[in-house]
Amino acid sequence: MVENPYLPKLAKIEAIKEETVDTRTFKIKILDEKVRNSFNFTPGQFVELTVFGYGEAPFSITSSPYEHENFSITVRRMGNVTRGLFRLKEGDIIGVRGPFGRGWPIEKIKGNDILIVGGGIGLAPLKPLIEYIILQRRLFNNVILFYGAKTPKDIIYKELFDIWKQYINVELTVDFAEKDWGGHSGPVTVLFKNFKLESNNIYSVQCGPPIMMHFVTRQLLSMRMEPEKIYFSLERNMKCGMGFCGKCMTGGRYVCREGPVFNYSEVKNFLETPV
Amino acid sequence: MPIFLDRIMKYYQLIGPVKTEKGVSFEYVSECDKVDLDYLGHTVLPPKKFFFPPIEEMFAYEYDETGNLRIYDFLEEVSKGMRVIVGVKPCDISSLLVLDKVFTGEYNDPYYTTRRNNTLVVGLTCNKPKEYCFCTYVGSGPSIKKGFDLLLSDLGDMYLVEVGSEKGWKLTKFNLDIFNEAENEDIKERERILLEVEEEIRKKGLPNFATIDKVLVERFLDRIWDDYSRKCLACGKCNFTCPTCRCFTISDEPNPDLKSGKRFRIWDSCHFLSFTKVASGEVFRKDRPSRFKQRIYHKFVYSINEIGSISCVGCGRCIEVCPAKINILDVLKEVIVGGKSVSAKVS
Repeated sequence: MVENPYLPKLAKIEAIKEETVDTRTFKIKILDEKVRNSFNFTPGQFVELTVFGYGEAPFSITSSPYEHENFSITVRRMGNVTRGLFRLKEGDIIGVRGPFGRGWPIEKIKGNDILIVGGGIGLAPLKPLIEYIILQRRLFNNVILFYGAKTPKDIIYKELFDIWKQYINVELTVDFAEKDWGGHSGPVTVLFKNFKLESNNIYSVQCGPPIMMHFVTRQLLSMRMEPEKIYFSLERNMKCGMGFCGKCMTGGRYVCREGPVFNYSEVKNFLETPV
Repeated sequence: MPIFLDRIMKYYQLIGPVKTEKGVSFEYVSECDKVDLDYLGHTVLPPKKFFFPPIEEMFAYEYDETGNLRIYDFLEEVSKGMRVIVGVKPCDISSLLVLDKVFTGEYNDPYYTTRRNNTLVVGLTCNKPKEYCFCTYVGSGPSIKKGFDLLLSDLGDMYLVEVGSEKGWKLTKFNLDIFNEAENEDIKERERILLEVEEEIRKKGLPNFATIDKVLVERFLDRIWDDYSRKCLACGKCNFTCPTCRCFTISDEPNPDLKSGKRFRIWDSCHFLSFTKVASGEVFRKDRPSRFKQRIYHKFVYSINEIGSISCVGCGRCIEVCPAKINILDVLKEVIVGGKSVSAKVS
């Protein structure tokens, strides 16, 4: 019989970490050793995760690509599947399909300056890229991370920023500051005030809510960054992950298979402009 | 023909066009004299339901007493038994060729491909089009060159049979007593009938829809779309009766014991508001024109890049079933002729 790519591979929740009041990171281990060993991903790719009885939904992989025994996803409680997932405990069984899609263009951006822009939980698919860059730091030039969250309480991976700051420049902002917040406030675009394009050898990668990606992309274009160097990851209703179900199609392209990472030059002529 | 079908039924499950209260419909047949090969134009639903059913149970899961989870793949059921579908018109055969390209490639959809491999297609050239048929304008009828194991042509007192594959050849080889060698005249008679059908459809004087993609791209923001989408009820009937529409959603259904359940996929429609909705509540095609256009642009523009051709086969089912009486031919004609002014530009 033929291999059925719709069947989830069984996996176990190894650990659950509370990120914010509604966001958790789940560390997942695929049960079958052979499947686990062949599970290799590029930062920016996603999995289809099954919570049996609730259904299946796409999640970006957030762990470092150098982590082999497990992988992680960061999940905000939002819909049906995530509600089901939040009811599970360490040791519970879930299902995994994937990894799917095209991740960040790592080979292309090597040797260049990189501007990473994340908004809210949109930092999740950028985290494996940041960790890759840090581990291969000499392969990249100046690296800047701009991250914006709604409030200081909504910042994910809080404990990691201090580590990251040792290797790359990190700037944070929140939409709604609280009294003890000494940093920037406002949307992530406020961080562009002191940012100048110093050379053409710079790529940007971004992931966040559609409205953030819209404004950041326009900001970068107005600074004359080349459209093919502006990368983003799109969120769509990716049910099957393989370009069959048709639900993620945007401007005639399957975001699940041909994306979720696109550059602006690829999408600017889409009839349905995605950012 | 009944003798041939009767013999097929000894070895295969037979699917054929059958008269029902709602019109002629492809069904599993247990008595071969129920098969109606004289039906006009097309059946109510296209044959896709036998390859890509409206609801497909994909697998079941169950926790056993020790708490281990087991998965039962329903694909094993799908791969059992061989079928023959008879009386498939060229438009519908073309649609299967479209679906073949969609469901294979980098990944293969095993539920679809297993059924395709399990099923022999006995086609039937078209002798009389229905009111809304327009296959000749999309190059999918009234006859077809590939995609069948056997192709029948009704010549009045007999059928001319064209063999299209090794499997088809075997079907005839073991039944040589009921076949005679075709005469040149028979082939000419088939050509004459097909020409007649073609001329009848040609009277509609439509453009060639295989090459309207550039015009459609130019007129994406035309006001025509607003006018038509205001009439559209977003019911999805055009999707569900379309032989090449294949979008679906995937859902789980737990059993009351909460220890077991099923995953299934179900036909979905790009006209539904929920179609593009993600967990955060964001809907990427909120306004009606954007959803109305998606089906048309997928068929006539996006498919060219996706599978190398448009994906409308000209069966006319969407016109026939539309409760708002939206005729895709009127829409396309109006767009091609020049459309209206550009509507508010979306940045």
